[in-house]
Amino acid sequence: MTNASHEVAKGPHHVSGAAPSALSAHAIVKRFPGVLANDSVDFDVLPGEVHTLLGENGAGKSTLAAMLCGLYQPDSGYISRNGERIALSSPRAGLQHGIAMVHQHFRLVERFTVAENVILGSRDLSYRLNSSELENRVAAVADSYGLPIEPGATVGELSVGQRQRVEIVKALYQGAEILLLDEPTAVLVPAEVEKLFENVHAMTQAGKSIVFISHKLGEVVEISDRVTVLRNGRVTGHVSGRGTTDTKELARLMVGRDIELTTQRASHATGHEILQIRDLSLTVSGVNVLSDISFNVHAGEMVGIAGVAGNGQRELADTIAGLMSPTSGSIAISGSMTTDRGPIHARELGLAYVPEDRLGMGLVPSMSILDNLLLTRDRRIVVDRSTVRPEATRLIEQFEIKANGPDHLARKLSGGNAQKVLLARELSGGRTATKLLVVCSPTRGLDVGAIETVRALLDDARSAGQAILLISEDLDEVMSLSDRILVLYRGSVVHETPGVSAQLSTVGAAMAGLKSEGKS
Amino acid sequence: MRSPIRVVFEQRNETPKHLSILVPLLSVVAALVVGALFLLATGYSPIETYSNMLSDGFISSRGITDTLGLSTVLICTGISAAFAFQMNLYNIGGEGQLYLGMIGGAWAGLALGDQLPTFVMIPVVLLVGSLAGALWILLPAFVRSRLGTSEIVTTLLLTYIAASLVKHFVYSPGSFFVTKNSAFPQGRLVPDSASLTGIGDTSLYPTFFLVILITLGLFWVVKKTEYGYRIQVISDSPRAAHYAGINANRTTLSVMLISGALSGLGGAVLIVGPFGRLDPGIILLGYGYAGIVIAALARNNFSAIIVSGILFAGLRSGGDKLQISTDTPIHIGVMLQGAILLFALGGEAFRRYHIHAVRTERATQ
Repeated sequence: MTNASHEVAKGPHHVSGAAPSALSAHAIVKRFPGVLANDSVDFDVLPGEVHTLLGENGAGKSTLAAMLCGLYQPDSGYISRNGERIALSSPRAGLQHGIAMVHQHFRLVERFTVAENVILGSRDLSYRLNSSELENRVAAVADSYGLPIEPGATVGELSVGQRQRVEIVKALYQGAEILLLDEPTAVLVPAEVEKLFENVHAMTQAGKSIVFISHKLGEVVEISDRVTVLRNGRVTGHVSGRGTTDTKELARLMVGRDIELTTQRASHATGHEILQIRDLSLTVSGVNVLSDISFNVHAGEMVGIAGVAGNGQRELADTIAGLMSPTSGSIAISGSMTTDRGPIHARELGLAYVPEDRLGMGLVPSMSILDNLLLTRDRRIVVDRSTVRPEATRLIEQFEIKANGPDHLARKLSGGNAQKVLLARELSGGRTATKLLVVCSPTRGLDVGAIETVRALLDDARSAGQAILLISEDLDEVMSLSDRILVLYRGSVVHETPGVSAQLSTVGAAMAGLKSEGKS
Repeated sequence: MRSPIRVVFEQRNETPKHLSILVPLLSVVAALVVGALFLLATGYSPIETYSNMLSDGFISSRGITDTLGLSTVLICTGISAAFAFQMNLYNIGGEGQLYLGMIGGAWAGLALGDQLPTFVMIPVVLLVGSLAGALWILLPAFVRSRLGTSEIVTTLLLTYIAASLVKHFVYSPGSFFVTKNSAFPQGRLVPDSASLTGIGDTSLYPTFFLVILITLGLFWVVKKTEYGYRIQVISDSPRAAHYAGINANRTTLSVMLISGALSGLGGAVLIVGPFGRLDPGIILLGYGYAGIVIAALARNNFSAIIVSGILFAGLRSGGDKLQISTDTPIHIGVMLQGAILLFALGGEAFRRYHIHAVRTERATQ
């Protein structure tokens, strides 16, 4: 991807500086109880432009986007479309003005086909649905932007990247001129991100405007024509020019201080085997989810599992944690078998598990930090909270969790702070000192500051001699942290490489199932 | 041109504290207003009716003791409903479990006769009644915890069977529960050893204090014990429970059994207290169903159930007396009860959403 080609492509849209913005926000103020989410924010996007809203979680970018598409109304300030002031009272009003949002969490009906999902909510449908005609109409819209989708496929069977494409096609089908993409890459693997970016180019070439919401610096620099940085509800910077931006400068605008994301991977000696997995297979309702997996993790070692989502990672983690029983094979922690003995037994042997799903699996949203600390610990018949309280206070301080104290409810924590609570609990040991830490997508959805902290915590745990199994769809993360990398593809380990010498292309090819290439 | 006004629901991040009290309070007020309109429309004076109800239900000393007496059983069915509801288990068959509690309590009283002293008989009757209530929910609890079968349907259907069972035991000739060769179909009175007398010759029985103690005890169990902790984890996120190695099936089973036992206790309370016999009249009173409303109004908070239980008892007993003192229809109390439930459930919207009006502009394209 060269900058030159983009400039040629973008050229016509930028020549006239006087062209009215497709959509602009003027001195927007939005207040929530106790929070000034947007403090007189100005923002605009031109036709055929990608304008990124960059900021940490809680910086106010999602709030601004919600007002741009009609989900919220500003307390003061206004929004204009092509220079004319408009009031967006609902997302439907936003759609009538050609503004659509593609949410981070897709709003699709899994049992419907792609075409059915796309037409859902359209008001120009006849009483009888002619599915083949609908599918042709949907395919026509998708093809005109080079978005390959299969209109007849059931959404439940699609990959995350494909579902996202369905959302985008849906927005285009509804006549969107301006698309707000909320953290669109958070759920995608590298190949899918590339595909998404191609789609974005196709859309901007057709004159659509894209508001790209993200906190990932690398991709922001790659995709954006302009960047507006938000921090604590205020605009802290405007940067324009694709590819010319310094990520360090953006990070500083975003966080308010300098940031170091690359951890030092010391070449340290590793200890004895903590986790031993032998010929592990798992069949769920007739499907082989894991087949013949064998590997070890040593004390003081971090083994990274790379792979595209849905290749058995979640099941592997759940099986090690004792939440699922393998069909065959064995798992041992510190030499003791844990196969079929449940999560509490595994924890008694020193397992700690940070699941991918923080709120709802790792943490109980309606419970306080204090009660959540008790979740994986030994609770007596009468729960003695007073003895845990000082520890909770200490962990909040030690892990720099932004909370009002141990009674702060988990659901009111930001994503990064929720993850810190989870890590604090799992790293501090419960039933016994933590020996093996299984972490899934530990930094997914977190802002840069929190990613830095979480990675440092994992690094410290490794230095302290804990064995760590890092399962992540974020290939950069696996590559930069792991001592050893295993690639999981369709439930099998198809590639193994030491972390220091791992090649992005080789690992990426293995993730895509190109076995021969992976070995060459 | 004035643009149309549209009502917008914005989800609240946090419910303000005052709304948690204001909404139930206003639900009661709104129900009273609707009741007043109904009374006006049917030619009664709302002010007179309500002041009579207030005096008969809450102010006169007779009214207070009657109300507290009635609240005993209503608090039982209220905590029965709330104990299951808090874990998203919708036991709406408290009514049937209450009948079984009466059958079980009456059976224990009659079978053991006068052989045992009162201080043994009363706990035995209450215990057998509770067990009978638990027995009545055993099947729904089992299929719910093992197969996930909706407890709403099963518990409700079993209520009709329980009602038939009550009628069977009272109306079938030669039944154990009735006096032999009596032409009048009514249950036999349990022996004196299984009966309590009202405090100071009122209709308030010592069981009231027992039920209050049990309610506070449950409050403690839910807030302070491992069992309560487990209930909260499972009700909020079953996957977190699985993650933590908490056995949700077993907890589901036990919570439902306890819920059934509490409604059964309500039935047994009637046996040792005001009824003293298996009385088919219970079928028309709907004390079990009232428990659902009481729990909903108290938002499943056990200490609040004491308040909402007493409030409902006052409405019911004040309403019942209207028929005697004036000719106002007896059902005004029941109607108010239904209206309060409707408004309390509707009022949830105000707690969850920030509701406000905005001016809209029609899209002009």
